[in-house]
Amino acid sequence: MSTLSAGPATPAAGGGPEEAHRASSGRPRPGTAGSPGPGRQPRGRRGLLGKNPLGLLFSAPYLVFVLAVFAYPLVYAVYIAFHDYFFTAPGAVVDRPFVGLENFVTAFTDPAVIRSFGNVGVFLVINVPLTVVLSMVLATALDKVAHFRGFLRVAFYVPYLTASVAVVAVWLFLFNGSGLVNQVLGPLAPTPSWLINSAWAMPSIALFVTWKQLGFYILLYLAALQNVPKELYEAASSDGAGPIRSFFAVTVPGVRPATVLVLLVSTVTGANLFTEPYLLTGGGGPNGASTSPVLLMYQKGIEQGNPDQAAAIGVVLVILVLVIALLQNRFAGGKES
Amino acid sequence: MSKAQTTLRGVVLALGALAFLFPFYYMVIGSLQTRPDPTVAGAFPHPSNITVENYAAIDSRIGLLTGLANSGIFTVGVLACTLVFGVLVGYALAVLQWRGRGVTFALALLVQVVPFQLLIIPLYVLIARNYGLSDNYLGMILPFAINSTAVIVFRQYFLQLPKELFEAARIDGTGEFRLLWDIALPLVRPALVTALLLTFIGPWNEFLWPFLITKEASMQPLAVSLANYISNVAATAANPFGATLAGAVVLAAPVVLLFIVFQRYFISTDVGSSVKG
Amino acid sequence: MQRRTALIGATVLLAGLGLTACSGGGGGGGDALTAKGPITIWYSNNESEVAWGKATVEAWNADHPDEQVKGQEIPAGKSSEEVIGAAITAGNAPCLVYNTAPSAVGQFQKQGGLVDLSSFSDGAEYIEDRSGDLAEQYQDADGKYYQLPWKSNPVMIFYNKDLFTKAGLDAESPALSTYDDFLATSKTLVDAGVSDYAIHPAPTSEFFQSQFDFMPLYAAETGGTGLVEDGKATFADGAGEDVATFWRDLYDQGLAGQEQYTGDSFADGEAAMSIVGPWAVNVYKDVNWGAVPVPTKDGTSPEDTYTFSDAKNVGMYTACENQGTAWDFLKYSTSEDSDRALLETTGQMPIRTDLATTYADYFDANPSYALFGDQAARTIEVPSGPNTVAELQAFRDAWSSSVIFGKGDVDSSLKDAASKIDELAAQD
Repeated sequence: MSTLSAGPATPAAGGGPEEAHRASSGRPRPGTAGSPGPGRQPRGRRGLLGKNPLGLLFSAPYLVFVLAVFAYPLVYAVYIAFHDYFFTAPGAVVDRPFVGLENFVTAFTDPAVIRSFGNVGVFLVINVPLTVVLSMVLATALDKVAHFRGFLRVAFYVPYLTASVAVVAVWLFLFNGSGLVNQVLGPLAPTPSWLINSAWAMPSIALFVTWKQLGFYILLYLAALQNVPKELYEAASSDGAGPIRSFFAVTVPGVRPATVLVLLVSTVTGANLFTEPYLLTGGGGPNGASTSPVLLMYQKGIEQGNPDQAAAIGVVLVILVLVIALLQNRFAGGKES
Repeated sequence: MSKAQTTLRGVVLALGALAFLFPFYYMVIGSLQTRPDPTVAGAFPHPSNITVENYAAIDSRIGLLTGLANSGIFTVGVLACTLVFGVLVGYALAVLQWRGRGVTFALALLVQVVPFQLLIIPLYVLIARNYGLSDNYLGMILPFAINSTAVIVFRQYFLQLPKELFEAARIDGTGEFRLLWDIALPLVRPALVTALLLTFIGPWNEFLWPFLITKEASMQPLAVSLANYISNVAATAANPFGATLAGAVVLAAPVVLLFIVFQRYFISTDVGSSVKG
Repeated sequence: MQRRTALIGATVLLAGLGLTACSGGGGGGGDALTAKGPITIWYSNNESEVAWGKATVEAWNADHPDEQVKGQEIPAGKSSEEVIGAAITAGNAPCLVYNTAPSAVGQFQKQGGLVDLSSFSDGAEYIEDRSGDLAEQYQDADGKYYQLPWKSNPVMIFYNKDLFTKAGLDAESPALSTYDDFLATSKTLVDAGVSDYAIHPAPTSEFFQSQFDFMPLYAAETGGTGLVEDGKATFADGAGEDVATFWRDLYDQGLAGQEQYTGDSFADGEAAMSIVGPWAVNVYKDVNWGAVPVPTKDGTSPEDTYTFSDAKNVGMYTACENQGTAWDFLKYSTSEDSDRALLETTGQMPIRTDLATTYADYFDANPSYALFGDQAARTIEVPSGPNTVAELQAFRDAWSSSVIFGKGDVDSSLKDAASKIDELAAQD
């Protein structure tokens, strides 16, 4: 016998079929008209807090957290970007005039800043597609492999686990002018060597970061692959599709939500690149060939005591990334919420 | 799947695994060497060049066990908050319809997009001065308490569950919380494990924040002690490169072990059949 | 849906602003200057400095039961400025930090984080008695002391005697005093294959790295000039160009490394020389080393050669409640006896006038340090003021591209850096 749930004001009918009806028929229906529910009052259009206000309850701790820990610093940072600002000891009285867009102008007429945005662009162009493709392919292969499964999975995940600080030491050792990689490559090695070469510095970092982060994305895809129903593969192969065709016809569309996620996260992580330029090229590489905007923010804001300029760079960076994320969602995401 | 294709796949994977593992392998070898050996031959362990001194050297200086314990407390705190509250939010975002759903998702995205360096000083003032939480585990955990990437991942996987499942249960009158606990959670177990492992890395390897918020050396997580060691003390050890790598291996080992233990939970639960059934 | 989103978004923002408003205030009052009581101090985590710090604190605490000092390590190196800056902002900085970098003092002062030591009745007097003429470069633009000059590590050239001998060079009186000699010696070393590089200072772009390649040699070449004098950049002159061209030649001929080396290149034998101060003696204990002053173009006698100080000083921070005790402890820890303990434990040079004569017995017993003791009297410091770090970064960026990597003309690159620095110095 159906019993009503203990939650407050939960409508009995599910949202699923009703949504579908609404979409297809275009006729708006009042709250719970979709399926029979014993004795439920019909509500207004969407209810005061939506169909399942429980959702708000579930999310409340998270929202409080974000408010308490994130909103204040962020608003502060935006505030700083528009003022002539520096941090002071409590009780110190200083002048902090509003200066409009001046910080933005100062920051963006500095060629080093423009260069850093360009560098990040180069990084993203290399890192993001490479990440998506490699992680999808590797995850698919890992999913199907029969032997040494555990070992292989651990192998791909290990770089992600190790702290950048330590891996960088090894990487520097290997990619040194006289290091292992150049010894193996012999005459093919670029001069000047990788990280001190203006053309190769950023791509080297992109390769390093791709290698290091791949485990994370493989994991995402692996989990997503578990949700692609086996029946689809069976159907495809009974239609005569070979492995490559079924990859493109079944797997790729099947993990599309994961792809959107991978695109988003790798773009965001890439745009906020800091640790690797900081460690691998000690402050910006030859001629600023591997500076990133966040590295400059760190230099200006924390080392040089100009948090106003740093905040200006940060605000622009955040806006740019949001725009890119929205575009990615629009084009790759299909009908996600 | 023909034999040739299986072999090819095997070979590709093996080569890939080798490329991925090599630097880590080199790290382990390097941590066991008495003197760093940059030649190609140095990549293979030499009986004459093996020692555990590097581990002793770094342990005597930065207390590896204390560091590990602090890292553990920090990470477990973050994991607990993220698993409990993050799952709730992810579920709510994916499955429930409620006012403010879009904003919450946008917030989760925004939190990720904003670089930490932008927020760090105001955040420090907020937590150390206003909340009075410096040199305190809570102060360490707070900015990381609920990992927004995990929230998005949870939402992701809840979204992939077929809606029919929920309808069927709702028609039976099951409440949302039971739905979440009894039906949805077991189905996304691979996702939970994934998220757990992903969330683990952040606080475990995090350097900048714990560094700022703790002055007491006895409270610092291992990542902080290691970074300090590398920049300041390593030069005075007998084999600085080796000692650094020793610390790095100790930092990475628990995570690798954890992963080895949990990776079998990625086996699929056959979602298809539970819908049909 | 749009409107609801906007509404909720606005609420979040407003709440954020509300929190902004309740950032607490409250700092020390004027009485803090004379107040006595327990204090906290920070020192660096360099092993020997920790040893010195603990011993000094213990000795004080034994005699002052009501004014106990608590000492703690703070990481030095790249990140100490962040920690101190953040602590100033949050209001929980300790009373004294025995690791305050002169390049950060201007900023900390601007933040309102430092106590003016001259406001103590014997403040300026004590500092000038102890450090003599050297104290002047640590004053701010108004002649006040916001830092106490504590110890220096005068930068000199270390060379590996064994490698020099192997290359057929004189290991006791090496030819390293003029640029031409230095270049020739370097070439001999590298050609003989005894090491990968003749010398390998860090080629990376952190703002402080020029303190270990350009600044020591410029100081020597000009007889004691720093990067900025009277608010104007100095180095775009003939002497600056000579120094820059010298380093350019070293990099050009492959005698100095363009990539960063993980580890210490001199200790590992990757480079036959290094340019650093006496704190490194402990690191080089396995190397048979000798030291000479940095070279100048036409050679200068050692007694007249200047160099960079690489000083670390002590700052007193406004968050301190018991500044009276802090000042007393500061004087105690920089007394002749404490300075002697510092010298003996760490091998670093207290910034004292007449250093060599005051501790003649120490230098007689440790002749390897005598050279540094003597050099310590002739050092220059980083520019003062709140924009020091930005100025140093501007210089380093120009240096990195034109000198280390050979892109662009050295002269014009120095001139560009000079005009940038003039702007920054004028903002003071």
